[in-house]
Amino acid sequence: MNVVRAWIEERLGLRAVTAFLEKKEVPRHKHTFLYYTGSSILLFLGIQIFTGVLLAFYYQPTLAEANASVVRIMTEMPLGWLVRSVHSWSATFMIALVFVHLLGIAFTKAYRKPREATWLTGVLLMGLSLAFGFTGYLLPWDELSLAATKVGTNLPKALPVIGTWLTQVMRAGEDVTGDTLSRFFTVHVSVLPLAVLAILGMHLFLVQRHGMSVPLEEERRKVKGPVLPFWPNFAFREAGVWLVLLGLLLTIAVLSAPGIGPQADLMAPAPEGIQPEWYFLFMFQTLKLFPARVLGLNGELVAVLIMMAGMAALLLLPFIDNRPFERKGKVITLLAWAGLAYALGMSIWSLL
Amino acid sequence: MNGRRRVMATVGILALGSLLAAGVLEARVQEATQPSVKPGPAAAPGQETSAAPRPAKERMAVYVLLAWVWFSIAVLLGVLRMRVREADRVHRMGLSRAAGKAPKGPGH
Repeated sequence: MNVVRAWIEERLGLRAVTAFLEKKEVPRHKHTFLYYTGSSILLFLGIQIFTGVLLAFYYQPTLAEANASVVRIMTEMPLGWLVRSVHSWSATFMIALVFVHLLGIAFTKAYRKPREATWLTGVLLMGLSLAFGFTGYLLPWDELSLAATKVGTNLPKALPVIGTWLTQVMRAGEDVTGDTLSRFFTVHVSVLPLAVLAILGMHLFLVQRHGMSVPLEEERRKVKGPVLPFWPNFAFREAGVWLVLLGLLLTIAVLSAPGIGPQADLMAPAPEGIQPEWYFLFMFQTLKLFPARVLGLNGELVAVLIMMAGMAALLLLPFIDNRPFERKGKVITLLAWAGLAYALGMSIWSLL
Repeated sequence: MNGRRRVMATVGILALGSLLAAGVLEARVQEATQPSVKPGPAAAPGQETSAAPRPAKERMAVYVLLAWVWFSIAVLLGVLRMRVREADRVHRMGLSRAAGKAPKGPGH
């Protein structure tokens, strides 16, 4: 056994990694639970990749076969319905945890110097997670997914100059067709995973480079607070959280497996009750409520510009709220709470 | 018997009880005449295909699997809790730091 270990060590030099993990410490305070969200996102990403590969063995991204192949996965493949359900629910769990992770960092001001780049990569990862959800929604190729994708890809059209071009790039043509389906599939299974792995690598490196941030009130004490060694104290606790989350995921996946609607018909009118995934509901509801014209401008354009400004503000938050640690930036906190309340309120309204 | 052991014993009995109940239910399903173990035909065109209902036998097997998963999780959580307590105790006593500083013997 020792010979094998020495052989591996000589070639990979893993001792440096284990030595780093042995020295790594995790701050212990009332917000320590937020540290579990990052690793739990990784857990669900792993499940997504694993179940995604299993689904890709049988899924066929063509106009004629997409819906039928998903139906086959659900009805003919052994436990295919469960694999699809776990894939779908783990996406929901992952995105919910991404939101919790991001909000936790925003409210504890962990994005401030020197962690601006960590925040930037984190927000990009959130954008990629949402892109995964958007592209994945079309793949079952049922009436609802077609209609929702038509609405979603129509959104950039309101933008001046590049709007129409952007919509054409997303749809691979003028309208949502079989070409859109194969483009979304390619993006979903190859472009986005590669982008996620690259940015995730940077994000993890930066997290290790700067260590774990402590909330403002802990930092003000100027005395080093209690810490937990990462290995084994924190890692074992993390493993417990993973186990509970896995159990919850499997239970929900079994008890509430998603179905699939009838095959999409490109010539049919949009069905009633079109709804995107829950994480896009607030945008969907905002667009529905926006008047056709605002101050003489196209209402949809104004809505898209406001959303883009919100996203840009979120991305550049560390540079907007760059006050020294002694000042809390209460306005930013207030705006963050208002934004959260708005998103929740609009999502609930959309469901009613 | 202390409190922790009592809780673990109760959880174990409950888990075993649920497994037993699931087993009895499954046995009933197996004894009953099954119209077909194959999944039902795909939904007619224009209808939604739901993930359920699946064949009763397969559904029951999944519920039994789920019960086993939760039982395994409960056991693993118990083991992890003990390991965490032990690791915390070692950390509090500073044994991990002391071990790092201990002089190495010849040959190291």
